[in-house]
Amino acid sequence: MLSFHSKKGDKKVLSPDEFHFIRELTFAIRNKGFDPKEFVKKGDSYLFNFAEKNTSGIDEKRRNFLKAMVIGVGVVTVAGIIPGLRVLVPPNVSAVSSFPKSVLLNSSGSPLKASSISVNSPIIMLFNYPLSGEPNFLLNLGDSSGKPVEVPSSTVTVPQTGDKYTFPGGVGPNKSIVAYSAICQHLGCKPPFIHFYPPKYLTPAQLTAPEPDTLTAEALASAKSAKAPAIIHCDCHGSTYDPYHGAQPLTGPTVRPLPTVLLEWDSSTDYLYALGSLGVGIYPEGANGVPSKNPTVDLSSNFGSSVGDKTEVKEAENPFSS
Amino acid sequence: MSKESLSSRVSNWFKDRLGLDDLPLFKTPDYMFHVNEWLGALVAGAFFYTVISGLILLLYYNPEAGYDATETIINTVPYGSVFLYSHLYGSYAMIILAYIHMFRNYFTGAYKKPRELLWIFGVLMLVLTLGASFLGYSLIGDVLATSAVDVGAGIISSVPQLSFLLPILFGNYDSGDFTRVLAWHIILVALIGFLFVFHLLMAERYGMMPSRKVKPKAPAVYTKEEDQKFNPWWPRNFVYMMSLIFLTWGFIIAIPNALAYLNGLPQELDPFLNPKPAPPPSSPLAAQVTTYPPWFFLFVYKIADFTSDVVLFLLIGVIIPLVYLLLVPFIDRTDELHPLKRRVFTGIGILMITYLVQTSIWGDIQPGIQVSVAEQVLAYLPPAIIVAIGMAFLPYREKGSTRTKVPMFKKAQFSSPIAVLLFMILAMLMAGAATLFLASPSPLSAAIFLPILSLFVFYAKALTPVAIKAMPQGDSSASDSTSETINSTDVIKLERKKRIATYMIGVLLIMSAIIAADMWTIPSTGFESNMWGIDLGLLFIMLGEAISLYHYVVYKKPNESYE
Ligand code: FES
Repeated sequence: MLSFHSKKGDKKVLSPDEFHFIRELTFAIRNKGFDPKEFVKKGDSYLFNFAEKNTSGIDEKRRNFLKAMVIGVGVVTVAGIIPGLRVLVPPNVSAVSSFPKSVLLNSSGSPLKASSISVNSPIIMLFNYPLSGEPNFLLNLGDSSGKPVEVPSSTVTVPQTGDKYTFPGGVGPNKSIVAYSAICQHLGCKPPFIHFYPPKYLTPAQLTAPEPDTLTAEALASAKSAKAPAIIHCDCHGSTYDPYHGAQPLTGPTVRPLPTVLLEWDSSTDYLYALGSLGVGIYPEGANGVPSKNPTVDLSSNFGSSVGDKTEVKEAENPFSS
Repeated sequence: MSKESLSSRVSNWFKDRLGLDDLPLFKTPDYMFHVNEWLGALVAGAFFYTVISGLILLLYYNPEAGYDATETIINTVPYGSVFLYSHLYGSYAMIILAYIHMFRNYFTGAYKKPRELLWIFGVLMLVLTLGASFLGYSLIGDVLATSAVDVGAGIISSVPQLSFLLPILFGNYDSGDFTRVLAWHIILVALIGFLFVFHLLMAERYGMMPSRKVKPKAPAVYTKEEDQKFNPWWPRNFVYMMSLIFLTWGFIIAIPNALAYLNGLPQELDPFLNPKPAPPPSSPLAAQVTTYPPWFFLFVYKIADFTSDVVLFLLIGVIIPLVYLLLVPFIDRTDELHPLKRRVFTGIGILMITYLVQTSIWGDIQPGIQVSVAEQVLAYLPPAIIVAIGMAFLPYREKGSTRTKVPMFKKAQFSSPIAVLLFMILAMLMAGAATLFLASPSPLSAAIFLPILSLFVFYAKALTPVAIKAMPQGDSSASDSTSETINSTDVIKLERKKRIATYMIGVLLIMSAIIAADMWTIPSTGFESNMWGIDLGLLFIMLGEAISLYHYVVYKKPNESYE
């Protein structure tokens, strides 16, 4: 029944391993209760189970040792997973309690030089600040001949409440660079529906221009009477803001100015930094009738996460077709 | 047995309380402990992983800002990218494994009596899986996802009778509100889970497909008496299943996290391999992205290039193959199981695979390029002719004819003590290279790590036959033993291999401890957190491998070969 083959014919000699095993097995069959009747009934598998249990095959001790090692690997795996449980703890995005000081970067990721910003550019230049969902215009203002003009400090009035605050004026080599929130305070339209109109486009020709470049006659007239060489205008419902005077509203329907982004210019490096926000809260804060007097509401997390210590200025598009 | 060990008492307590012996769980014959028979377990493993990781993502995902939420999960949630990428790859794995599972059962004739309903549920689950994957992919909200939805919606809306489905399916997707897509994604997955319960119960009821040597004709089921003799579900079956599931999880987690390092893949490989989202559709960068459908729908999108008639397209690409698969148990009604005795159906199956792969690759290389009828014939006729000729003339040999198995290479040479020593050294080298690669991922360290890893895998495979591939025990003269003789050399060889396997579990324990310790030092966000993901994947692979080795040592019998 149990035959020991020898593959290599006559020359085959039992190896010490095999010899050892046979001795163990025969010893076990004699002394450890091998049941020939069971063997006849169950065949092979009975013999194997018997051999496993009673020779130095898989005895209980070895099995437990193996089990312990496998459980060890399991425990180690769990130990490795434990730091991963932090995935359940939400990162605290609303923890931004103050405005970050963020250097403005150009699209290649290096700091933007203030003197490289073209004057009265029709291209919409945007950067997010203080949170990732809050776009702002970056403007280098000039006069109608394209020379940069110094933007002076002025007092801005919030028509809705009558509150006043002081706009600090422009920065940069010519004190001509300003930044404002790019979300319209009326109903929250965003670029390209709201954008800057350089002096070149502040003409009656724009009255018939296609969206989003249409000016209203009212806007043109108000710019003229305010002596603003250029304006920010929202095509959604026609709100107009004066970028030379802290984005003071020129025409409705808006009842609030665009919040100002405070900028700092480092004259030694020519870099620009955003420092904070001024005026009213970024739309829609205060849209429910009462304007927010507190620009730090811009830091609430539903606008995104903090931009950190740098923010990229994107040249989004030129809305004007000609 | 009066004195039982603690562990067997614990095991018995659970067995008893859970009533495991009374559950209608299939008992498994020895020869079935082979991964081919367990493809369903792999699919289920991928499914469970995807559900778990998906629920974690659900804690963070915001359908009103899909792209931003995706970015937030990747950049700011601790280990968010690890779970997001592996969620994606879990679904990829599930799709691929489901196809393999289905076609394997197709060729073995597993859809025949009495498993017709089992098969139909399986096909429905494949459809649901593809649907859920498409919706999940859309949730990213990047330019690829939105254009995929656009094309999908375009296909639906070009059949006027179907356009009522659009608001039902997508809601306000176009204006950035993904609420409905998220809801459908979850609903479809819940449906998969629901069907899975029945699929599994029926699989346990009828058992896995027995080997054709044992049951050559349908209905291929073991009788109650035969079944009683097999290995009970607990513990052997359970142990084997866990090893497969952990191995699946390991690869699902490790691969995408490793890929997250590799930037600048060629465009053809990008939609398949890159787990990172593309830019959002509103970004100027989006214009530079060639829009691809998710790879598992490449074939459908390519068929859309064949004809402008949408109804025809839906028929070719979706409805006919689907209806065929659903009805095949009722079309192929003979009791033959051998593929060469069902030549027509085997031929159709081979063609389906060929066309699926062919069309997908075509769609990847030339997306959206119109294809003329002549080109279609040129591309699709040759495989059909080759298969037809092959099916017509391939000779069918009755079993029992002399068929000598020639082993690919002598496996025994890997199990000498010197080989084990070599393996230990290799394992150490692997650990070293892995650390190097993790610490400074670069093409160079990858170039060092990958060959050593593959060598390690190769060795591990050779040494642990059961883990990945069943190896016929003994040599060819012994394996044709129809007699009841047991070859003592078999027993001794097996014993030697088991000793090696024991050492390997030890090595795995040490290596996994090193990796787990490393995992505590890795930052939870940013680029490095993917290292944690790779480590986690490796841990699961090692755990799976350790359990597989344990299964080999404890349960493997010398006379069980793969049939
Ligand atoms: S939103 Fe700008 S004017 Fe109404």
